Amino acid sequence: MTEEIKADVLLVDDEEQFLKVLSQRMEGRGLKVDTSTSGEEALEKVKGKDFDAIVLDLAMPGMSGIETLKRIRSEHPDLQIIMLTGHGSVEKGVEAIKAGAVDFLEKPADMNKIMEKISEAKRKRVLLVEKKREAQVKEILQSKGW
Amino acid sequence: MSEHNEQQEEKNNKTRIYKFLRVLFHPRDFLGILSEDRYKSLKIRIVLLDAVLSLLPLFIVVTISYFWFQQILKDDFKNQLKWELENTKQSIEFFLEERLSILRFITSTYTYEQLSDQRTLFDIFTKFKREFPGLADIGVIDANGIQRTYSGPYRLAGADYSNQTWFNEIVVRSSNLSDVFMGFRKIPHFAIAVKREVPDKGTFWILRATIDMKILQKYASAVNIREDDDVFIINREGVLQTPSRFHGNVLEQYKENFSFREDNISIKEAGQSEGTCDICGYAPIKNSPWVLVAVIRSSPYAKIPNIFRNELLFITIISIFFSIAVTIALVQTVVNRIKKADQAREVAIAETEHASKMASIGRLAAGVAHEINNPLAIINEKAGLMKDILEGSRDLQQKREKFLSLIGGIFDSVNRCRTVTHRLLGFSRRMDISHDTIDINDALNEVIGFLEKEIIYRNIRLDLDLRKDIPKVVTDKGQVQQVFLNIINNAIDAVQEKGLIKISSYSKDEHFVRVSIKDNGSGIPRDKLKHIFEPFYTTKGKGTGLGLSISYGIVQRLGGSIHVESEINKGTNFFVDIPIRSETV
Repeated sequence: MTEEIKADVLLVDDEEQFLKVLSQRMEGRGLKVDTSTSGEEALEKVKGKDFDAIVLDLAMPGMSGIETLKRIRSEHPDLQIIMLTGHGSVEKGVEAIKAGAVDFLEKPADMNKIMEKISEAKRKRVLLVEKKREAQVKEILQSKGW
Repeated sequence: MSEHNEQQEEKNNKTRIYKFLRVLFHPRDFLGILSEDRYKSLKIRIVLLDAVLSLLPLFIVVTISYFWFQQILKDDFKNQLKWELENTKQSIEFFLEERLSILRFITSTYTYEQLSDQRTLFDIFTKFKREFPGLADIGVIDANGIQRTYSGPYRLAGADYSNQTWFNEIVVRSSNLSDVFMGFRKIPHFAIAVKREVPDKGTFWILRATIDMKILQKYASAVNIREDDDVFIINREGVLQTPSRFHGNVLEQYKENFSFREDNISIKEAGQSEGTCDICGYAPIKNSPWVLVAVIRSSPYAKIPNIFRNELLFITIISIFFSIAVTIALVQTVVNRIKKADQAREVAIAETEHASKMASIGRLAAGVAHEINNPLAIINEKAGLMKDILEGSRDLQQKREKFLSLIGGIFDSVNRCRTVTHRLLGFSRRMDISHDTIDINDALNEVIGFLEKEIIYRNIRLDLDLRKDIPKVVTDKGQVQQVFLNIINNAIDAVQEKGLIKISSYSKDEHFVRVSIKDNGSGIPRDKLKHIFEPFYTTKGKGTGLGLSISYGIVQRLGGSIHVESEINKGTNFFVDIPIRSETV
């Protein structure tokens, strides 16, 4: 088993069964998992909470995966989003990466791989946050001029 | 035995001849033979058309140039005739002028008294006759018209001319040239008279000479003529002055109508109605009552075209052979090219049709992958969770319920995959030609099943109105489904997000079931509508442009029909009529 990662993850997929089982498995690995069955719901959840990673299905009725991705990125540019798809076509993957996804996984995906991507995403996010803080500190230092 | 064979052969020959005659005399049969082989008939038609097109101008040119050439020859001949007549006319005029001059010379040299002496007159007569042949006699006439002295072969001294017209004329004019008359010897003559005024006595006298007409006749026959032609002199009243070949003798009346201009030579071409001469020339001789007439009947200009005609015919025939040979060769090449191109095109269409089939399979495959990958993901996660549980816990008994539910979930997902693969198999059967009894609604539902996800993901509203009471049809299910797939795919491409597609099925009449696929998309412009069933025609940008053409072909093969109604910005409606019993499957 992989080492335990503490991270807040949001799963977005229209298949409820899939959501249920995947979240159980992730929770078993120590992650804090939240789920939503549509893009709209996911957008709502993102507003209220800071997630370390979001796993997003590409093909969904209503707001599509790509659309959801774009909207989340526009509101929260430092959120790490991993795309998941059943289509298995490179085209869609490229489109997703261009739209700002950090990674792209094909269904059915290996649990270890998902965990790897999530931990990677978390590392990136921590780095981003630290950098931000550093910048803030620098700014404070410069502006105050002690 | 051999006799029998001979009889048979004879019969065969008869039938063959009969057939040949039939073909010759029945144009429809002839055309029937033409249409047996498409390319052969094309060849024959092109050759015929080309032959007509190329030979018609040739014939026109040849005919025109033939008549043109004839006209030139005729004109040329006319000019030549005119020239000859002019020459002769001048010679005659000169001849007359000369005689007149001599008489004037004599009248001005000698006095009346001198000439009244018989010996002087005789002397002049003999000298005159020696120098200028044709002189018959010479005489001196006084103002009363009495011939005072005369020198010649007759005893005409004392003859009274006072009542004659020429004498009356000469009283007012200075000289006179008479018509031809028969002398005492019955030889045609004409007379030249010159008046001499004696001013101091207020009187006059006349010197008159008679000249043999043969002299003038010599001039007339100097005109270069052929056997059928005639040249002679008439006076203004049409009385012959010299003998003619065909128009009578001297002093007879010239019977043809004639007219001419006094100041010029007229060349007249007689129309067909005006009898004997083809070309007539009239040359009025100045200061005389005469007209030189040429009657040309031999039409020498018509003889030259014989040579020309032969050459022309030769050139024409050569041209015909050449042009037909070239045409046949060209047509042969072109039609063979067309044939090859057609064959290549057929092969290409077959290939693209295949490619299009592959493309639609690809599109299906993408849908199928999605369909299968989702349940597979669930299976994956459920199995993974079971593994997680097994690894994490030692008391399996407690987890029994959990396991059973997870396994149930796995079975469900496997079933989902199975339906998908079954549908796919049912669909791929369209490669084989079959003859199924099917419910159109089932076939439609299967197709819609494949496209459902795409419809849902694009938020397209699908409105189904499938009548339960439609009869089952005997047709090729796979083929029919491909048609539906193509048309519904097009509808999906045509509508915007949240568009509407309405699919309905119902009985059109006792022979056909109709499926109507209607979308509220952009519609097809009228000018493009007539092309949509043509192969390689596409408005989508992507795609092969074969979907509808293949669909059209399939439905035709199955004995049905497709038609389409479309309105810009309102949508398109396809109607597919499927026969309840396909005639050809």
